[in-house]
Amino acid sequence: MSNKIYHTLSLFDKWVQENNNLVNKWKQQEGGGDTLSRDQSQTHLKWCTSEFETLLRKIQGVPPLADHTQLEVSVVYNACVCFTAQSQFTEAELLLKQATERALQMAGNFPVASDPPVLWRTVLKSVENTALNSCVLYLLCLQWAIWLATCQLKMIEEFQEELTSLVETLPDGVWDDRRSKARGKSFDISLLVMEPRRLVELLQICTSIAQGAERLSEGHSSEALSGLQIASSLPAPRILVAYTHFLSGSCLAHMSRPQMALQCYRKALETDFRCVCALYQSMLIYRQLGNTQAEIQALHLLHSTRMLPSATEPALACTHLLSPSSLLRSQSLSSLLSVPSALSVLHNLALKCVLHGRVSEGVEHYLDLLAAFHSEDHQVHAEVPPLPRLTELYLEAGTALLMAQRPADCMALCDEVISTTLELLPEKLILEELEQRNEIRDVSVEGEDRVAMLLWTGAAYLLQGHCQTHLKDWKQAVIHYTRCINLLMKVWFKKRGFQPQIPSADMIVKEGTYLSVLQKLKGLSLAGRGISFTQTDQLKEALRDLQLSLQAFPECVGAGLWCGEVLWRLGRRRMAAAHWEKTWTFSAQSSLESLPVYLQEPQSGPSLDSTELRHRIQELGPI
Amino acid sequence: MEGRCAVETLAEFGFSGTSCTPKVKSGFGIYVFLCMGSDEVYVFNTQERKLTAVLQFPGLVTDLVESPDKQLLYVSCRSGVYCVSLSFLLSRAQSSLANTSSCLAELKVSSEFLVVGEEGVLSLLLIDSVLLMLSQTDVSWVLSLYKTPKQTQSSSYEMLSSFTLPLVSAFVHEDELKTRMRRRPVLICVFHGQTASPPFSSTSSAEAASPVSHFHLKPVLFKRLFGIDTALIKSPVILCGLPDGRLCFLPLRLPGSRLRVLHSLEQPVVFIGASVVMKTGPEHAQCLVAVGELGRVLLIKMDKGGSEGECSRAGFTEGCVPGPVVCGCVDKRHLYYSTGSDLLALDLSKGSSGIEGQECGEETSAALQSPTSLNVCRVISLAQPTCSPAGEVQLLGLSIRGQLQRITLPVWRKDARMSKLPQGRCSARDLLSAIGDVYERASVLKTSIKSKNQTLRHLNQVLNISFLLLASTREEHFPIQEKPIRCHAMTKWSRLLQKDSLNLTCVLDNSSPYVLERGWTLTIAAFPLSCSPSAGGESSSTNFSFQFCNLHPGETLEVSLPLAAAGDTYFPVTINCSLTFSVTSLLGEEEVASFTGLQSGCISLPLNTLTVDWLHVLQVKSSTASHKNTTSQPNNITTADTIQAFVRSHRIWCSGRGDGGGGGASALKQEQYSACVRVSSELLRDTLVLKSSDLDPQEPMLAPHNLCISLLDWMLSDSLGGVKMGHRGDEIALSSPVVHAQGPNGDTVKLTAKEVNIGEESMAKESLSAIEVRVESSSVAAVCGLHHAVLHRVQTLLQRAPKRPASTKTVQSLGLRQALQRAECLLQQIQQSRISAAFGVGESTRQMTHSFLSVYRELRENPLLII
Repeated sequence: MSNKIYHTLSLFDKWVQENNNLVNKWKQQEGGGDTLSRDQSQTHLKWCTSEFETLLRKIQGVPPLADHTQLEVSVVYNACVCFTAQSQFTEAELLLKQATERALQMAGNFPVASDPPVLWRTVLKSVENTALNSCVLYLLCLQWAIWLATCQLKMIEEFQEELTSLVETLPDGVWDDRRSKARGKSFDISLLVMEPRRLVELLQICTSIAQGAERLSEGHSSEALSGLQIASSLPAPRILVAYTHFLSGSCLAHMSRPQMALQCYRKALETDFRCVCALYQSMLIYRQLGNTQAEIQALHLLHSTRMLPSATEPALACTHLLSPSSLLRSQSLSSLLSVPSALSVLHNLALKCVLHGRVSEGVEHYLDLLAAFHSEDHQVHAEVPPLPRLTELYLEAGTALLMAQRPADCMALCDEVISTTLELLPEKLILEELEQRNEIRDVSVEGEDRVAMLLWTGAAYLLQGHCQTHLKDWKQAVIHYTRCINLLMKVWFKKRGFQPQIPSADMIVKEGTYLSVLQKLKGLSLAGRGISFTQTDQLKEALRDLQLSLQAFPECVGAGLWCGEVLWRLGRRRMAAAHWEKTWTFSAQSSLESLPVYLQEPQSGPSLDSTELRHRIQELGPI
Repeated sequence: MEGRCAVETLAEFGFSGTSCTPKVKSGFGIYVFLCMGSDEVYVFNTQERKLTAVLQFPGLVTDLVESPDKQLLYVSCRSGVYCVSLSFLLSRAQSSLANTSSCLAELKVSSEFLVVGEEGVLSLLLIDSVLLMLSQTDVSWVLSLYKTPKQTQSSSYEMLSSFTLPLVSAFVHEDELKTRMRRRPVLICVFHGQTASPPFSSTSSAEAASPVSHFHLKPVLFKRLFGIDTALIKSPVILCGLPDGRLCFLPLRLPGSRLRVLHSLEQPVVFIGASVVMKTGPEHAQCLVAVGELGRVLLIKMDKGGSEGECSRAGFTEGCVPGPVVCGCVDKRHLYYSTGSDLLALDLSKGSSGIEGQECGEETSAALQSPTSLNVCRVISLAQPTCSPAGEVQLLGLSIRGQLQRITLPVWRKDARMSKLPQGRCSARDLLSAIGDVYERASVLKTSIKSKNQTLRHLNQVLNISFLLLASTREEHFPIQEKPIRCHAMTKWSRLLQKDSLNLTCVLDNSSPYVLERGWTLTIAAFPLSCSPSAGGESSSTNFSFQFCNLHPGETLEVSLPLAAAGDTYFPVTINCSLTFSVTSLLGEEEVASFTGLQSGCISLPLNTLTVDWLHVLQVKSSTASHKNTTSQPNNITTADTIQAFVRSHRIWCSGRGDGGGGGASALKQEQYSACVRVSSELLRDTLVLKSSDLDPQEPMLAPHNLCISLLDWMLSDSLGGVKMGHRGDEIALSSPVVHAQGPNGDTVKLTAKEVNIGEESMAKESLSAIEVRVESSSVAAVCGLHHAVLHRVQTLLQRAPKRPASTKTVQSLGLRQALQRAECLLQQIQQSRISAAFGVGESTRQMTHSFLSVYRELRENPLLII
């Protein structure tokens, strides 16, 4: 009986053993982490946390004794790490507060202040140069982690000094001395779930990144830059180093040094290819610089990386207990790191290609995009930024197809749009004054924008007219243009206090409103019909249409030139010359980017050679 | 009204009411799958008219869906979604048929068939190769999409995405929802009508009919409801009807789409479907129909042209049919629904078959008001109707009794009236069967009303008793003796097979004016205050329950139960008496199961609490015997006991020697522990005399000696707190103030009462006469227990003492202070030894025990007097 008594361990040893068992179990699980699903490891983590907490409650049941500080702090550390990994910060902070208060009691002081910063300062002061110091420093580490994860960067700045000294003192801390001293007795040391040294390193770089992002969003780019450059040389996981480079690049971009920014982005990508945001930001800089080819190249790369299977997993996911993603949660950082979805990138790419002369490539991308929508296993995600409406995508794709000399395919796409919308179009529509895009929309009960729908259908008819023009089937072209014009005539415009009327040319039209789109459509379709009439020698009709077109949309180049041509043919040569002269003064593409691609003047129709026209004017001679 | 349906019972399955709506589904041509809310799925072959197989799943089956092109059956149950292939099922069914003589193949579906381990899936839907599952979490509805593998063999079900819709507090009250059957959310898929060929019919021409939950909607309506983007890419749209009444939709392939609410029925959605409405017309459905549980019917169809250039728009027409609606289905023109007592048909084409009139909405709602009764009752689930070549519509229904029925509807004529029945004989048979049905229904109703009345009367009694008991527990001051229904008890030692055991006889006394009827149970729970170390530190309670039939006012019920065997020392034991009423006895199993609000269906009402302490369990020896040999064991103890006693005494002696302290002399003798309580004799005189004078008024004032005896007598015999010592009834009163007795663990104890005078050493002016009750025994446990019991008795004595002006005698203030100091000192000692014990430093366990023992003994030596 008495033998048994001597062999049973004292409670203290039992606690140490319990702690070590838990830590070992965790490490084992972490080692074989690949086989377990995320859910399973989450439940395991939860279990571990509760076990540590119960153990801690037992230990804290006895009055604070200096001999057992190491054990107690280890358990507090482990429990807090587990809590923080699960984002249960209030629980972790409570534990920390209790532990520091007990440390104060051990040091012979009694806690007075409940405010965390004050408490920490008192604790740090009172345990200075005592054996307790290293233990308290470990707790400070965790406080740091919590501040970081809850984005309390102000606090971290306040404690900057202590934290830097923490980084310096930790490697040769007293803890390790004890370890080496007590190496003989194995169960005397309590193990930790995460090496404090590694935690501090992680905290250091994550703090730099978070601070950098915060300063950058506040507009202090140069300050942020210096901090980030120091951080980039710290030992850390690759992806975090890549982030420091990326953020430096963003700072430089803010300081309008695009070339240096590009260098930084390149470095970030070289460090870790998963840093896709660097690629995206480079693309934006190229766009800003007007380097279209490079922009398209970057979009290409971006799209192919987004299509990789690994792209869906977050780059920060980590099998370790405290992953960087759980520490980096600030809003400003996540907005910097965000990258649009694969579909959105693909659309951008296609549009860029089409706008900048790489039509065949653009067409391919558009077709890929449309195929993606029709494919069965296409994943439905919330898109940020949202893609344009599918109808618009169809129309853009149709335009691209027409540009690529595939009028039949363009016709088919337009047919689809028309067949979808046709039955839903209203007989008459009244546009209110002061209506702006995204402001008040005429949304019917079923949630469709009826004006937009009408304009889409009009655009589809217009495109079909263009296709027929391209095929030189003038009769058909006139039919389609007429359909478009008829449709557009259904829209009435209502000024405040007046009766609804058909919009006339003398109205001031704001860019980007429905009214501007309407007028543009009207101008283009009338011009198209006028040009078609000229081809069939119906000059009177042609002149009427072309002049109406110029009324609706005065900057229409085609209408201007052809109007002159018709006048010339009708023998009114002076007027014709005046028309031509006036048209040449139009800035060729005044609003290329702001208007949808399908509302731009077709390049494929019958054209007039301007040198020949100038020649004619010269022949006409001065008056 | 005009026509009658031919109802043909195909098979009967036992049906037990459960928490989930049953489901009938026909699939793979000739098979019908039934799940009735248990963990089984029945596969019924309609051609051979027999049950092909029974699939048993590891949990409650919530929904099933079949994949016709791959011949797979997906079944969702509590632990996840399982996938069983039809060929496998049939081969297994055949082989098991060959092996066993039984005609039924029961197949256990194990976890190897588990394809998606998502828990709590309520509804399933399969669209092409995408499997959708709807489940409910605490805060939201979750719709998850999984991609099914191309090959049947591979088992990778990749999650595509998931959508959530926050829960809203249900329109129907929460409790009400709980009590009802849990309704499964309805999931259907709507295709754009222009899709050239439905994806299913292209593969297998024989089963060209698309699945029940897939509808092709008229393009205009589709566009109007779900937007032109959805129509442009011809994305299938999922419509889901939730138990909170919301109708939600989700375009499956539209980027950035989310679950959106289309409409709310404000009552649980029972059914969603689409109907062509027109008798001859395009294949696409013209009308979406949703039916709520309370009879609200929503029709969504295109309204033809409004005023001044308005284009056509979708019209939502709501109407009400007499509810409740249990299940429903649609065919090309009709909506069929069952109210449980009748099957009804609504002609949806009534409104729109006419000219495209402006008031078609009103017409439709008018049509809703005149459903046609089909005279089929008790249908709780319907499968999609089929149309035979002859134009007869056949419905497959499941009745509440578990009958699978084929209901053949009479042929509808062009004027929307029932056709005349072909033969008179047939009509007579049908009439007879209809009469039979009605008679059966009536008789069932009659008996149910009768039993409900009975139940109500019973419940009234139960309620009365409950109120009575609750009132008496609420008023704490209500003395036990005055409680209308109470328990009292008697302890008794008995000897069986040479083992002593203590029996407790409990008497339930019903002095209330109500009858305790069937369904009541007397529950007695005994909790030992402390417990043996071998029990692992868990305090073990023993429960006894006694059912009884009728206990009329004034009657008593006597039950007896074993409380402890000899050797058990865990006294005092608290006896909790309560009356339990089980609703099951009133309602029966299945009805109780539907009242999920009642936990376990029991009402428990506490009666009173009795305490059996050491004084109750003493076996007092007759005074003569104890005079003869006070030290030796009683005569009736067997040799085994003697040896045990010897061993025990020896052990104590050994430990006494090992003590090593100054107790060498006492160690030779058996160590005696003792404790005493001092009570002022004045108090005793007041209370005991008061009591005894009740019994015997002419008895003179008690002498001090008599006082001692009567104190002991009172302690041993009084029915304190309702418990009495049973064996003392025949014995004569005590003759000396010394009592020898045997405790429950076999130790002898001695109780002495003597008069002492206190106050000599104190500075008090006058001494105080008191009675000292001393407990002595060689067993620590016995001394502790008895001391506790004696104190407890004195406590009640004090409560009983008549109110007097405060005693003029000075309280021994000095003694009090000393006692307090001593107690503080002891407390410190205890804390010290506990901390050192915790860290295992310093003393050994035995030393510790000794220190605790000494502290305890000092605590017992309380010199204070109870006045």
